[in-house]
Amino acid sequence: MTNMEQDTIITTRNLSRTYTLGTMKVPALNHVTLDIRRGEFAAIMGKSGSGKSTLLHQLGLLDTPTEGKITIDGAEISGLSESEQTIFRLEKFGYVFQEYAILPELTALENVYLPAMALGLSQDECVTKGMDALEMVGLAERADHRPKEMSGGEQQRVAIARALINKPKILFADEPTANLDSVSSRQILELFRKLNQDMGQTILMVTHELEDVDLVDRVIWLADGEVV
Amino acid sequence: MTSITTELKVSAFLAYKSIAKGNKGTSALTILIMALAFVNLMFMASLFTGLTDASEDQVIETLYSNIVIEPKDEETYIKSPDSVMKKVGSVPGVLGISAQYLTASTIAHKEKSGAWTVRSVDPDDEITVSSVPKMMIAGECLSKYDRDEIVIGKEIAGGHGGSLEHLSLGGVVVGDTVEVAFKNGVRREYRIKGIFDTNFIQSNQLAYITEKEMESVLGTTDMTSQILVKTDGKGGEDKYVEQFTMLGVHEDIKTWTVYAGIVATITQSFTAINTLISVIGLFVAGITIFIVIYVSTVSKRRQIGILRAIGIKESIIIRSYVFQAVFYAICGCITGLLVMFMILVPYYTRHPLVFPMGDVTLVIEQKNAIARGVALVAAALVAGFIPSWQAVRETILDAIWGD
Ligand SMILES: Nc1ncnc2c1ncn2[C@@H]1O[C@H](COP(=O)(O)OP(=O)(O)OP(=O)(O)O)[C@@H](O)[C@H]1O
Ligand SMILES: [Mg+2]
Repeated sequence: MTNMEQDTIITTRNLSRTYTLGTMKVPALNHVTLDIRRGEFAAIMGKSGSGKSTLLHQLGLLDTPTEGKITIDGAEISGLSESEQTIFRLEKFGYVFQEYAILPELTALENVYLPAMALGLSQDECVTKGMDALEMVGLAERADHRPKEMSGGEQQRVAIARALINKPKILFADEPTANLDSVSSRQILELFRKLNQDMGQTILMVTHELEDVDLVDRVIWLADGEVV
Repeated sequence: MTSITTELKVSAFLAYKSIAKGNKGTSALTILIMALAFVNLMFMASLFTGLTDASEDQVIETLYSNIVIEPKDEETYIKSPDSVMKKVGSVPGVLGISAQYLTASTIAHKEKSGAWTVRSVDPDDEITVSSVPKMMIAGECLSKYDRDEIVIGKEIAGGHGGSLEHLSLGGVVVGDTVEVAFKNGVRREYRIKGIFDTNFIQSNQLAYITEKEMESVLGTTDMTSQILVKTDGKGGEDKYVEQFTMLGVHEDIKTWTVYAGIVATITQSFTAINTLISVIGLFVAGITIFIVIYVSTVSKRRQIGILRAIGIKESIIIRSYVFQAVFYAICGCITGLLVMFMILVPYYTRHPLVFPMGDVTLVIEQKNAIARGVALVAAALVAGFIPSWQAVRETILDAIWGD
């Protein structure tokens, strides 16, 4: 294995995703070929409708490409069954969505440790790791609060803590700060950068904000479903 | 990596949180409906059991006792009844023996008359096998040396609101004289000494005279058409039949159950109705659970999508809903049982239902309760599985962002 290969965590070759609406074909992604290095903090940018979310969904195994090949952490994705993909997501990925996607019935801590519980960790391990993750996002004292008792920014940080609980190989984030005020947005981006710098966390983030550009290692620009 | 215990743990965790932190009103209402469904399933079954029990008890208490010894097929009378009674009486557990002679007769009072069976008994023996002497509603029961006196059931007497009033003597009272025409042609007049009501239409159509009187009617002694034997408790009769045979009783020995045909015909039509109502009840319960779980999966569509996105297996999600459905069903069964035991059974014990075979109360049989509980839980399993299985069919992206 060459150094180059070892350092690449995601590769795509000719990746396409075409939506079919009735008889019309909407090519959301068009033959995208790219590599993401391990430990990279990459931003995906482009106009609305350029295919940013679509690309993230393909790489995050939330959707199935119409064409092309994805290799993640040495595994060819098209060779994985649906349930293998589910386990893959649980073990290797963390997600942060634009909307604060945490469960209203669980406390912050429970939301955070749910993926660890699903991996088979004991209750004690779950609590310890969950508290560590909450600590990391600065919400340790809110562990027992339910989502409805927290602000949008706090809920998003809970979602980030949940995304980090299983020490994911890759953290995916689709416009994680779009619904937040500038202070909360800043907090979250700082957190991402810290995670990336201190722990070498690979992060793939879709963003609209041009000011985010100087925080990241690299910007992947999309236009009409193609990398430019 | 993810073992089944882990999966079950996560499913149970999600189900628990969903119930504990979800809408309490919905949960309470669902459990209430499940309880009603369970009571609906149990009520008819318990009534049916009560009906059967009451009928069986009546057959034993007022008609045939536990065991009936009859002459062999080709004979009309039991030969040497005394020796039979001696053998039977020597068996431990035998509580009473009574030899009876039965004859068809016509009983008349003024212009009314009818055909009924007259049983002649030794009142001292009869009291040990039958409850009839304790069920007098007018006058008194027979004593050993009564000669010109008769005791009749209320369906013969009439005037007591019996079901066969139109066939009765139209309201004779104690002290009235009736004329009895026996099958052998003898006619005698008797004073009515007592009228009894067993609550059972079959035994209420019997008339009793003493053995002494019958001997004079027949002009011979020791005529016995059947010997009734009372044993301890219902259900253990077969072992006595064996012992009697071993002791050399060569007559035809039957248990009351061969007369249970009477009970069967009475209760048969209920079986069909009961089954129909049970099936409908189960459907209603199943559909209720289905709707509750369906509404839950629809309102949590996005959450289900998110769970799947972060790597929670579909089977875990489905099972979390199945657990909820089963939880509701089990709570419903428990609540339903409480309602049965604490409200309905005491109520019907105080206010029994009046049937032609007697007063009927609800009798809850353990096997019935278990079978119906299991059926309800099984219905909940299916009803919880279908909507949650459907919910995880859609793509993750549609679940989270679809409309
Ligand atoms: N489910 C779908 N069915 C049909 N077309 C779709 C679907 N999802 C996305 N598209 C189309 O694919 C293209 C890319 O969409 P995508 O959501 O990836 O854009 P985006 O870059 O994330 O935009 P935004 O910045 O607004 O989020 C768009 O033209 C969109 O209309
Ligand atoms: Mg988008």
